[in-house]
Amino acid sequence: MVKLTVNGKEVEVSAGTTILHAAAAAGIPIPTFCYNPRMDPAGSCRICAVELEDSKRTVMGCITQVVEGMKVLTESPKVHEARKTNLELLLLHHPLDCPICDCGGECPLQNMSFSYGGADSRFESHRNDELEDMKSEVLVFNSNRCILCGKCVRVCDEIQDVHAIGFINRGFDTVIGPPLGKKLDCEFCGDCLEVCPTGAITDRFVRYQFRPWQMEKTETTCTSCGSGCRMIVDTESEAIVRISAREGLGPNEGSICVVGRFGYNAVQNKSRLESPHFKRAQRLVPGNWEEILPKVAAQLASISSSGEGRVAGLISSQLPIEDAFLFQRLMRQTLKSNFIDSDARQGLMNMAIPLVSATGSLRPLVDHEDIIAADMIVVLGADPAAESNITGLAIKKAVRKNKAALYLIHGHDVSISTRAREVIRLLPGSEESFLTMLREALSSGTTSLSPEGRQRFQGLGASPEAVDRLLSDLRASKRTVFITGRRFHRSDQGFGASMQLIRLMAERNMFASEGSGLFVLPESGNDLGVLMMGATAEWLPGLLDAANAEQRSVWETHWQTKLPSGGGGLREILAGIEAGEIRALVSFGVDPLTFLPDAAQIRKTLSKLELLVVVDMYQGPLADMAHYLLPAASPFERTGHVVSAEGFVQPLAPAMAPWGLALSESEIMLRLARHMGRALPFDDLASLSSEVFRIFPDLRPSTRNAPYFQGGTGEILLSVPRTQPPHKAQRESVLARVASFVKADLPATVSPASVSSSERPENSFVLTLSKSINHAGTRTLLDSNLMAIEGEGFLKVPRSWARKRKLKKGACVLVSTHHGRISLPIDPVAGLADGEVHYPLHFADARFMVLFPRHLSFNAQSGTQSGQAIDVTIEPIA
Amino acid sequence: MLKKFLNTIFFTEIGQGLKLTLRHMFMKKVTSQYPREKLVLADGYRGFIAHRRYENGVERCVGCDLCEAICPAKAIRVVSDIHPEIPDRRYAREYTLDFTRCIFCGFCVVACPVNALSMTKEFAHSSFTRNGLIYSKEQMLALGDRAGADSDAYLKVRNMWEAENSGKDEGYYHFPPISLGG
Repeated sequence: MVKLTVNGKEVEVSAGTTILHAAAAAGIPIPTFCYNPRMDPAGSCRICAVELEDSKRTVMGCITQVVEGMKVLTESPKVHEARKTNLELLLLHHPLDCPICDCGGECPLQNMSFSYGGADSRFESHRNDELEDMKSEVLVFNSNRCILCGKCVRVCDEIQDVHAIGFINRGFDTVIGPPLGKKLDCEFCGDCLEVCPTGAITDRFVRYQFRPWQMEKTETTCTSCGSGCRMIVDTESEAIVRISAREGLGPNEGSICVVGRFGYNAVQNKSRLESPHFKRAQRLVPGNWEEILPKVAAQLASISSSGEGRVAGLISSQLPIEDAFLFQRLMRQTLKSNFIDSDARQGLMNMAIPLVSATGSLRPLVDHEDIIAADMIVVLGADPAAESNITGLAIKKAVRKNKAALYLIHGHDVSISTRAREVIRLLPGSEESFLTMLREALSSGTTSLSPEGRQRFQGLGASPEAVDRLLSDLRASKRTVFITGRRFHRSDQGFGASMQLIRLMAERNMFASEGSGLFVLPESGNDLGVLMMGATAEWLPGLLDAANAEQRSVWETHWQTKLPSGGGGLREILAGIEAGEIRALVSFGVDPLTFLPDAAQIRKTLSKLELLVVVDMYQGPLADMAHYLLPAASPFERTGHVVSAEGFVQPLAPAMAPWGLALSESEIMLRLARHMGRALPFDDLASLSSEVFRIFPDLRPSTRNAPYFQGGTGEILLSVPRTQPPHKAQRESVLARVASFVKADLPATVSPASVSSSERPENSFVLTLSKSINHAGTRTLLDSNLMAIEGEGFLKVPRSWARKRKLKKGACVLVSTHHGRISLPIDPVAGLADGEVHYPLHFADARFMVLFPRHLSFNAQSGTQSGQAIDVTIEPIA
Repeated sequence: MLKKFLNTIFFTEIGQGLKLTLRHMFMKKVTSQYPREKLVLADGYRGFIAHRRYENGVERCVGCDLCEAICPAKAIRVVSDIHPEIPDRRYAREYTLDFTRCIFCGFCVVACPVNALSMTKEFAHSSFTRNGLIYSKEQMLALGDRAGADSDAYLKVRNMWEAENSGKDEGYYHFPPISLGG
């Protein structure tokens, strides 16, 4: 510990602390431009100058470490003079075009100039008159306004690890921009836009359309993926103008991805539903709530009174936990049916069932801080940067800062591949065999693979040398984090692979060691919450087994009712409708016609329904069939809480007024129950929230961090509150359950796939669907900004294959299966598994779905739709 | 006592009062027959606010919203955007000034960085509806075209003329040239 005085106030800080932090600890702010707590200090802007009292020198607060007995003055005539001179020098080239600059009004340079004596300069000013760089559709680079603090370059290097922009030229000619004067080509996270202290980098989508002081700011949570980013929504007269983050706010600490930052136009798309519709003479006609809801309620009541399990319900996993809780209670208690499902099943159930039976919790044992501290990270079938951007950042930081050993087991190269120690490319559907073999090799105790083992791994397409390194690292590692994602969960072998993975972790005693664990990447904002609230047929709220009468009775006594048994997920619902047992379907934002193949057959099945009620924001294929189509409020128009991948329970806040007559799903459910005469004991969403938090005290709202900066000139906050919320699962209770899980027999292991990659015919590939970083689901296709960034799907094919046929990006190829064919533009890329091609799932429309088999197949244990990887033949179009 | 009695019977107070009246009979008249006779207003008179143009006819307003920000009566609304003809120039897509709310304080003219606003000597605008007094940018530009000399005089007398050529690379603010896109 080092003792020093700041402005006469004595503070004690640990050695190695900078003056800036020591002053912050003493409650004294120092202005900064180039400093950011998340990045290494650069000391380039010279505005944090402080005076050392004894030596009469001015030093930079952000880069000078404290020494014993140091006497620091943060405000003195000398400091003031130094800062003022510095500002004069900065303003020498800076054009005073604040009135037309989008940063004007929230510009730290502007604020500092005001507080240190305006823009008058003793020097002859020399304004730069460089033209703005308008090559990119997303960002505008204005080199005249740049003060060369380098924050944008550092955020791109150190936090995003993308290295898309840099300093060009030297001296007075230095400008910031993409290398070689090219068009900006990056992940478009917009973090450089966020950190820029001047208007040198501005947003092109809303260029000149706003002034910061006109906008109302609302702090809310993003529901596009499981990262649970806290963001600030800026609205002007009830329209979202832009979305930004605050340095340090939330688990994302001020970073948001392209979907969160620029994807706000989908909710204000003209195609959104404005009023409730009902079907008359095969057409949907607009009506009003007072007229339509009693009719829906009456029909639902009469159908549900004809017996148990006559009504089925689907709920979107982007809806908050309150809605999920209310949904399952409405379905089970009021409508007496356990035929309920969520689209979280498709993305997560293969992992969720084994995980819950093993650990009893869906919340992870590790969070991003553990990932950063881990010495080994194994990513299984995931593209963390695209699926859950902030997890991707944590992984990049772990590799960059702590030299963690990163292993990527995936079909194709993703953005983190370049940081991986080894990339093991597996064809889809071989995850279970791989993990089984890995587990056996680990438990065998030998240091390297046997020749037979090497051959078996080679048979899967995995390099034995890479597996050898993985095994030796796994043996040596103290803190290992496994990360699983979309491809792993959706694989045909996903269920078995998850069982094997948990067993492997239990055998290596990873559940017991602090800092080790499994981190599951959900596909949308509240997958975990929806499952925890029991919105699928398997589980009651609190992950109690719905098939178990004893566990059911817990809720039966609580709700004073009899709960239906049986029921099932999407597979059973479709079968029940086909058999005529299920007569009504209520869908809250789930459209099976968009993600299941053979829409014609499903349409035929659904046409047997007596009542189809669709609650959605947009009109889609399912909505066209609905008898009643009700407009839902977007996540930007409502309250509620969502559970992030880390287990944080974070609130949504209404930033704009409901679109037209749209109501939140929970409000629609409450009104329906009231019209049925079986009102549920909640008046509104607030009473529902308090009930959920009363029943589940560990689900009370939690988050990490608070903003780092205060004021407009980048003074760091006096103390950064790092909350320790109850977001992780309890290690003790998990351990107790895992022990009994391991003892239970696992299903027989599948023999390794016999198809060797060399046997594959030349033009034959396995086609998989992948998530693009620029989109989330299919809703974002309605977003003009994201479509400007990525507006078309390209089939990613091996570069060597394309080169041999002289095909360039954008050339069309004919993709055919036994079931249909389609022509797609290609994008030749390196780093694909042998014999694999992939296509962004967002652009997989009905035209694309013809490639898939006509019949639906589901995983027997988890009810997840399987067969998502198909064999295709690709031929160039002559 | 006697003095009071004499005052009472000779009505001296009336005489004193009439003295003032009689004196004014021989003074110069100050009442002007307003609709028939027009007053000469001072150059600093704060009448209706007008939009100004550059000499080449381009409107000056850059849509910076500073007038909206400073307006104490919240009478101004600006919606800015990219200029449709001059690429990447900022301009006011919509500009409305509600003269029913305007208190004619002149803050907006002071705030304007490019002297796009000025006050004229026009004050006799009336309307039978409130909407008639909510002026659009076109109406204010027309007013500026009509009363150009008055608006120049206002800026000169209020010491705001030095920013006159700011749009052309001089003055306090400096707008770099417009890029042509890439």
